[in-house]
Amino acid sequence: MSSDRPIMPKGQIVYGEAVYYLTVVACLICIVGPLIALINPDDNVMNPYFTFAAIFQGHSAEEVWMIVAGGFPGGHFWMDNFFTGDGFTQFGLALGCSSAGFALIIAAIVYAMEKIYLYAGFCIFVAVFIFIAASGIVSF
Amino acid sequence: MGRMLKSPWPETFVMVLVTVLTYTAMTTISFVSEAPEGGMATGAVVGWLFAFFVLSLVIALLGVLGGIGGGVMFTPVMLAFTPVDSLIIRGTGLIVAMFSGLISTGPFMRSGLANMRICVFLCCAFAIGAFSGANGAILVAQHMGEAGEGFVRIVLGVILFTLALYFIFGGKKIEWPQVDKSDKLTETLQLRQPFYEPSLNKVVDYGLKRSPWAFLCIIGVGLLSGFFGLGAGWAIVPAQNLVMGVPLKVAAANSGVLLGMGDCIAVWPYIMMGAIIPIFAAPWLVGQVMGGLLGAIVLIRVKAGFVRYLLIGFMIFSCWGLVTRGLTGLDYIQPVPNWMTGVVFVVIFTWVIFNVVKVLKSTD
Repeated sequence: MSSDRPIMPKGQIVYGEAVYYLTVVACLICIVGPLIALINPDDNVMNPYFTFAAIFQGHSAEEVWMIVAGGFPGGHFWMDNFFTGDGFTQFGLALGCSSAGFALIIAAIVYAMEKIYLYAGFCIFVAVFIFIAASGIVSF
Repeated sequence: MGRMLKSPWPETFVMVLVTVLTYTAMTTISFVSEAPEGGMATGAVVGWLFAFFVLSLVIALLGVLGGIGGGVMFTPVMLAFTPVDSLIIRGTGLIVAMFSGLISTGPFMRSGLANMRICVFLCCAFAIGAFSGANGAILVAQHMGEAGEGFVRIVLGVILFTLALYFIFGGKKIEWPQVDKSDKLTETLQLRQPFYEPSLNKVVDYGLKRSPWAFLCIIGVGLLSGFFGLGAGWAIVPAQNLVMGVPLKVAAANSGVLLGMGDCIAVWPYIMMGAIIPIFAAPWLVGQVMGGLLGAIVLIRVKAGFVRYLLIGFMIFSCWGLVTRGLTGLDYIQPVPNWMTGVVFVVIFTWVIFNVVKVLKSTD
């Protein structure tokens, strides 16, 4: 043990900052999204006036989407409905839930620049896993 | 003044301001707008959104005070006492579990308390487990119907009871594990990373061992987390501390980072099949992020051991609800009468109050 404070690796700092600020942005979007849905309930993917009732009646996710939206439009429905309340909120959720993926790509670049290829590889592996999961192309 | 311009103050201020403005606007809308025929009243919709946000905020703050993750409170309580579909709860539970971890990643990485190398190495294992677990949950829900719901509740109830016992008796943890000899793979991975420990006013350089065994353990932990929609800090911390020899404080910081990173994988199968409903999940997400931030700023120096007993009480009570609802769902028993659940509640919380008083007396 010594008293000289160690300098943290750049990859670690960059990952932490990227995840942190992406999470803050995702949070802000998820605060505003439901308000947009309430302002314009007819121009929304799910009508908020019927969504909670369907959820609290114990319907499955599939049934809730069927009752309120006429069917589930896919996990990335925000792309076609970005300016609706649900589309904007879903974008916030998707951003937050893939924030680690984006941050890991940046961290991998930093590790590669520092010639720490093993950890650049680990970062890429986890990031690819996140993006494969987010694409929905692999499911059991 | 200069301190207030540094992270996390500006972003916390912006989030609080936007939240206040948004809920003020929603409340105004509830007074002027009429609900469509057959729909829920606007005030009720706003009420639910606000209630979820406040509940999530309280869970996050209690989590910081009691040292127990949010997912382990949210998922069991919702599964035990609400009629909401289990897949919707488990998907939203992952949101609750992961976002407090994501928001704590920045400060932990900056201070050096978390070790990025350990996190990303173990996350390779967590990724495999969590993705399989989440897809397994969807398979069970699609093919086993009501029986699957009952099965999930009973197994989660048993896990929760074991966990509550673990929290009561503490489990074996070592603050500063002594690592005399490392192994070849752990040395090759170069996982060590010294950090400055303010309580000791020293830089701590810790040794590590048995990383392949920790890797295998974390695959199992990922499976549990993905399948049940729980945060799994309670398992990740001892796996690092006891198996790898990671100091307890570093293991706890790594656990938050790892959950944030790993559950970014587990949550996607739920999103892709529609189990995460935006307007339902959003307030829970916001509460976790703001609660995690406020907790870290305001409450991090407050020691409140008694909150732990409160949380354990909720866990045991949820366990009762989960097992009885599971057995009812499988048609093994009749629905449990409310008076019996009330008696169980009184017994559990008498024990909680007894222990809280004991803790408060001992700290006087």
